[in-house]
Amino acid sequence: MTPVNIVLGVIGFDCHSVGNKILEAFFTEAGFKVTNLGVMVSQEEFISAAIETDARAILVSSLYGHGEIDCAGLREKCIEKGLEEILLYVGGNLVVGKTAFAEVEEKFLKMGYDRVFGPDCSLEKVVELLNEDLDSRPKGND
Amino acid sequence: MSSHMLSLDSFNQIRSEILETWPTGRGLSLEDGIAYQKKIPEAKNFAVAMRKASEAGITLLQPRAGVALIQDHIKLLQYLETEGGADLLPTTIDAYTRQNRYQEAAVGIEKSLQARTSLLNGFPAVNHGLIGCRQVTEAVRSPIQVRHGTPDARLLAEITLAGGFTSYEGGGISYNIPYTKKVPLKKSIEDWKYVDRLVGIYEENGIHINREPFGPLTGTLVPPFVSHVVAIVEGILALRQGVKSLTLGYGQGGNMFQDIAALISLKSLAHEFFKREGFSDYELTTVFHQWMGGFPEDEAKAFSVISWGASVAVLAGADKVIVKSPHEAMGIPTKEANAQGLRCTRQAVNMLCDHRFPISGDHQKEVAMIEREVKSIMEAIYRLGNGDVETGVIAAFEAGVMDVPFAPSIYNHGKILPMRDNEGYIRVFNKGNLGLDDDIMAYHRGKLEERAKAENRAVCFQMVTDDIYAISKGRLVGRPR
Repeated sequence: MTPVNIVLGVIGFDCHSVGNKILEAFFTEAGFKVTNLGVMVSQEEFISAAIETDARAILVSSLYGHGEIDCAGLREKCIEKGLEEILLYVGGNLVVGKTAFAEVEEKFLKMGYDRVFGPDCSLEKVVELLNEDLDSRPKGND
Repeated sequence: MSSHMLSLDSFNQIRSEILETWPTGRGLSLEDGIAYQKKIPEAKNFAVAMRKASEAGITLLQPRAGVALIQDHIKLLQYLETEGGADLLPTTIDAYTRQNRYQEAAVGIEKSLQARTSLLNGFPAVNHGLIGCRQVTEAVRSPIQVRHGTPDARLLAEITLAGGFTSYEGGGISYNIPYTKKVPLKKSIEDWKYVDRLVGIYEENGIHINREPFGPLTGTLVPPFVSHVVAIVEGILALRQGVKSLTLGYGQGGNMFQDIAALISLKSLAHEFFKREGFSDYELTTVFHQWMGGFPEDEAKAFSVISWGASVAVLAGADKVIVKSPHEAMGIPTKEANAQGLRCTRQAVNMLCDHRFPISGDHQKEVAMIEREVKSIMEAIYRLGNGDVETGVIAAFEAGVMDVPFAPSIYNHGKILPMRDNEGYIRVFNKGNLGLDDDIMAYHRGKLEERAKAENRAVCFQMVTDDIYAISKGRLVGRPR
């Protein structure tokens, strides 16, 4: 079975690099083909990388609090570029200040993200959900 | 005048260009800035406060804080002063301003107005301009500093110093390598020469401005010698431009003995290398950052991490401690949580301030180790630069002879891998191309083997990951579960 391509990166002007390096190692170990764009990635860079690598999921991180501004509109841009079926995951400290997770989750689900994670999520669980979501979703261009 | 000093012609030419990069810079007058600074009472001068703390042997408390709107920011700082009991105040700058994205910062201000809450993670000082900055600095009683993470901080420095701030954090290495992805080191060092020269000009006009290179770097398992080398090099670069008040920093590693040894060696090594560069006319103080890595989510546990950092800061004799909040795991704290961090720190600092901590025996050995490690890298830097530390440090980063763990910059080698030994000291597992002597590496390796044996597993990358998340999961050393 060929590995599933995924795109990983920290959005906006966020330079939190430690978790990003851990995520890359973890998802590679879990059998994915990871294109890690590193820190300070624009929405456009996420989308071009996803198109170039024929990725089935984009995993967006945001740690610095500007997630609300940086993440809005990514789903619409994906659709515009023909990535209707792509999975969008987002995780981290997504808003400024301590906020109930349910509130944050609702906000980002509304923006069109398929799954929303807090800073303390278990990576094993994320991989499990990702595999489930991939199984239940058409493969886009195939 | 030192041969390394930026000439007045170059300074003025750069100045005329950078003031044009955003409307709030236009027409900014250096003379007006100096005249304004002269009116600020001595009790509000950051450099004076640091010197006095050092002379009195006390540890001052400073939080981090910054929000999008001027009035909210003032309320936040006043709260930290009155309810938190902060000795020194910050103004933390938002991440868009740090990357010179003033247009995005403007959108952030607008959205914050609509949302009636800050959507920015700091105070966009460039957008608010000179008047906005003066409103802030005039509304507080304590000395106040600009804290940020800006590779090109020239316009921000012009506006905030003229705006009444008396201390400015950062440096050409410490605000590049951990804070951005694609800015060449040569460029950020050049741009920070301008900032340091600006501070030098204020000094020559009788205004003391404190400068603080950012100590903790990536805040993740940074061995003391790595951050010491950056602090010492940035100290030299600042002194070359006429800076007089320097505060060098170190981020808590977690093992008390290593942390105390680190702060002791930081000061003695800095004096040694500053002397070697021909400097004697400066004031050197130190800052200790409470744990900069991941925090436990449980606030009770977070208070324990804060309190431990406060305790070690005092025992290590730091002149200042940068305080975390119980909301750290979730990002930016509310003003109440921020003040709680300060009060928690105050209790520990007051309880320990009369203690003396004699460092001796095995612990003295750690001081000697850090000194050897720093000298090993510094000599490599001097060799690569044919005697010049600025050329040398750029070449050293390029070759990986100097390397910062987990940094985002593509101009950092990124091959060094640190991990904890069996007692929680931070050691080097993989040195990459680091300019460390073989016998130093053998010592590190030996210490890591002790841990591997105790944990019944080989020294491996998994240990690094375990160590990174250990404190947020309730321990110092990432033992196997």
